[in-house]
Amino acid sequence: MIMPLLKGLQITFSHMFKKPVTLQYPTERPAIKPNFRGLHVLNVSHDRAKCVACYLCPTVCPAKCITVEAGEDAKHDKFAAKYEIDMLRCIFCGYCVEACPVDAIRMSETFELANYTRGDFTFTKERLLEKK
Amino acid sequence: MVNLTVDNKQVTVPKDATIYDAAKSAGIKIPILCHDKKLHPFGGCRMCLVEVEQMKGRLIPACTTPVTEGMIVRTSNDEIIKARKLVLELLLLKHPIDCPVCDAAGDCDLQNLTYEYKVNCNQFVDEKFNHEIDYVNPIIERDMNRCILCGKCARICDEIVSYGAYSVINRGLEAKIGTEFDGPLNCEFCGSCVSVCPVGALISRPFKFQARWWALSKVKTVCSYCGTGCQLTLGCKDNKVLTTVYDEDQGFHNGQLCHRGRFAYQFVNSDKRLTTPLIRKNGKLVESSWDEALALVTERLAAAKAAPASLAALSTAHLTNEELFLFEKLFRGTLGSDNIDHSAGFAHAALTEGLKASFGTVASPSEILDVQKTNLLLVIKTDAYETHPVIGFEINLGVKRKGVDLRIVSDKRGKLGKLPGAQTTVHTPGSEILLLNALAKVIVDAGLADAAAPGLAELKAALAEVSVEKAAAATGVSADEITKLAKDYAAAEKALILLPIGLGYPGHNAALAQACANLAILTGKYGKEGSGLLVMGEKNNSQGAADLGIHPKGSGLNGSAIIDACVSGQVKTLFVAGENPVVSYPNRAKVEKALDAVEFLVVADLFLTETAQLADVVLPAVSFAEKSGTFTSVGRKVQQVKQAVKPVGLAKSDFDILNTLNASLGGQTYANQNELFAEIAASVPAYAGLSQTALGDEGKLLPVAPSAKLVPVAAPASAPVAGKLALVTGSALYHSGTMSRFGEGPMLVCPNAYAELSAADAKVLKIEDGDAITVKSETGSVSVTAKVGYRMPQGVVFAPYHFGEGSINAVTDGKPVTWVTVGK
Ligand code: SF4
Ligand code: SF4
Ligand code: SF4
Ligand code: SF4
Ligand code: SF4
Ligand code: FES
Repeated sequence: MIMPLLKGLQITFSHMFKKPVTLQYPTERPAIKPNFRGLHVLNVSHDRAKCVACYLCPTVCPAKCITVEAGEDAKHDKFAAKYEIDMLRCIFCGYCVEACPVDAIRMSETFELANYTRGDFTFTKERLLEKK
Repeated sequence: MVNLTVDNKQVTVPKDATIYDAAKSAGIKIPILCHDKKLHPFGGCRMCLVEVEQMKGRLIPACTTPVTEGMIVRTSNDEIIKARKLVLELLLLKHPIDCPVCDAAGDCDLQNLTYEYKVNCNQFVDEKFNHEIDYVNPIIERDMNRCILCGKCARICDEIVSYGAYSVINRGLEAKIGTEFDGPLNCEFCGSCVSVCPVGALISRPFKFQARWWALSKVKTVCSYCGTGCQLTLGCKDNKVLTTVYDEDQGFHNGQLCHRGRFAYQFVNSDKRLTTPLIRKNGKLVESSWDEALALVTERLAAAKAAPASLAALSTAHLTNEELFLFEKLFRGTLGSDNIDHSAGFAHAALTEGLKASFGTVASPSEILDVQKTNLLLVIKTDAYETHPVIGFEINLGVKRKGVDLRIVSDKRGKLGKLPGAQTTVHTPGSEILLLNALAKVIVDAGLADAAAPGLAELKAALAEVSVEKAAAATGVSADEITKLAKDYAAAEKALILLPIGLGYPGHNAALAQACANLAILTGKYGKEGSGLLVMGEKNNSQGAADLGIHPKGSGLNGSAIIDACVSGQVKTLFVAGENPVVSYPNRAKVEKALDAVEFLVVADLFLTETAQLADVVLPAVSFAEKSGTFTSVGRKVQQVKQAVKPVGLAKSDFDILNTLNASLGGQTYANQNELFAEIAASVPAYAGLSQTALGDEGKLLPVAPSAKLVPVAAPASAPVAGKLALVTGSALYHSGTMSRFGEGPMLVCPNAYAELSAADAKVLKIEDGDAITVKSETGSVSVTAKVGYRMPQGVVFAPYHFGEGSINAVTDGKPVTWVTVGK
């Protein structure tokens, strides 16, 4: 009757002196693989977002979580007056990156996206812009 | 008919068909870039190359090659595909390929074909174009770097619109589509060129960058401006109407629209829209709930029921047939008042009184398609083009393609008169009836009248007093010209008369319609294809309002009389559905006084119009894009309007408003507007047997059985007043009624009230184009901008009536001609 219990405890104790199998997150950081798909970043070039508001990423996005609104700047060119991703709905498929014809969006290594309110998961253009 | 084989399929087509048409009829798609079914064959792009067995050795353009008996056509093989790919490579060579920022992407023929033919590299290299982009005009952005020189824009503007804004300038690689002196575009802004451009070289600025073509939900409906009844497709996204989408297969007009139809849709989602009911409290309009507003209106209407003569109701002809029918049921039926009308009472009289007496029906005995089928077209007032621009396109096509002999009888010159062979007879303002009577006189005297025409004796007796010479003197048209016009009209195998009517044309009344009808009846030119009289109601549903009898039937007051009765205190309660009498009815001061005097004024409208501002209760109504129903066009076509977006704010359709009121006042309740159409079909003879679903996308032509009778009409005396100018009012091309002021396009190209006068008068009065001038009459005065042009004869001033500020009804009083002084 008691034997299985002791056997179990023995296994438990033996592990206390073995090297851990799992990654000791958060004290240990994972090594991120090159193709990892984390938080989106809007690339910047010449001090402005490269995005030209072509509407391809919102079109391709299977989760329908990207909102783009195009604007016309002083030179009559197109730019993203609004660019927003609802991270709660994003499935991190990366299709948006693939669709972009001007290499304006990429996915970073940032994966720690937990937050407190729903609103915090709305990533506006300012939050997504690449920080240099 | 010709028999041929296309891709092993046997095809039989008419002998004027091209290979492209033959393939299309067999369901085989040949790619095209420069071809358009509405335009003459062009053969410029060579995308449609096919192989013909009998002409082996070279490839043949399908769009320009007529079919011949026994032809064997191949529309695709390796050689053809190679040739088409080469065409695309050459087009892409200098093309910027900026699809991500080009509004055409998704609906671009070049993009689609590049994809279809897998052109993913180019064997040639060259520099891209570097043309300057035209951002000057507010409506159409012209980026000639994207142009593939298909020539469709220049051809449509010339062939159909007859404006001729573009042509190809320069040669070879330098060739491009140019405008007058290669300057910025300044034209009618109908947008036809934008709609046919296969790439993004011409795009609509009001819609620029707003959405992708594929993200738009497309709803087929009918334009809500003029009576032409053009079908249109609304492009909507997120519950907003963002644009109009071109569909070349829509309607008799093949998707063609005028400026209003194409660029003035923004009133639907304008931020000026009313979103909640308003009630006047302590002299101010304050927001309220529907319950409160409707309870108040019900209470006042219920009180008025006891004295129906003190109650009156005005409606706009913009409402659907179903709503107009319910409007009539509520006010004439449930509340028992015959004081109901629309369009000031005069703007529909040509139909409801004129045609009623002449043809025994309130509808024209002709349809729009007759315009191209006739031999001689007599247009009363060149303004027909401005009031109904897409019927204007039909006139252009008739004259240029079908050899229609165009005669215009008008008090001013205009665009129609510039068509090849067109002859304009300019008469003194207000003398139309006299002139038409003189024409009838010539016909009778020359023995050209149909002896069996009913009422001929009476007409002859009445015409005995008319003398052509006297008429010539009074109308300013020579007796020879009158005689020639009359004889040409009588001699034509088929002849059609066009008469535009509307709030801007008080002289286009019952008598004028009868005078026109007399000509047609005298010569037996009615009731046959291509002959007759088309009375063109101004609003999208003017014809419906006439058919459904939205006017006093017994001793009730008509539109203008209702205004007078408000002033005199006889009418105490007034319900206004969508009409804006303060701006559109004659004599603004009187209308304002009337609306002030009336004890209880309810206005249901989309906007807080000049009229709604005077109301005790304002009910927010919805636009044509937010409701379903039917409109009846000038040519008696009943067409379906379909809801495209949800109502703005708390706004409700006039159907909902009238239905609730009718129910709470003891009338019948309807579950939906379809039920009303069923009732219309059961009670209005012309609509018998129709159902909304059976109307389909095409709509149905209402039958008409004219029983003609000549009605003698006396010409009103109109003598010039010394030292004064004759003011005539009407429509501006970019506007329709007072609603187009809430559309973007019209306000970008024609934002302010103006008065047009001749160069000669301007010189005498020392007025220059663009000056601020004051127009003064016995009724009042108004400040507008001067426009000096070639159109006006000396002594005549024209002013459009659409504008709230500087509204010309401050000086007019419902007479065909107002005598005014003009000064700086
Ligand atoms: S990663 Fe996928 S789901 Fe997320 S925004 Fe991009 S396309 Fe949409
Ligand atoms: S696909 Fe690229 S350019 Fe287009 S909207 Fe998305 S991020 Fe912007
Ligand atoms: S908008 Fe109309 S009038 Fe102007 S250039 Fe285009 S087709 Fe011609
Ligand atoms: S502007 Fe458009 S329609 Fe005109 S020629 Fe160029 S591609 Fe054709
Ligand atoms: S305003 Fe008249 S002519 Fe213009 S698109 Fe609308 S229905 Fe057609
Ligand atoms: S479509 Fe036939 S040549 Fe252009």
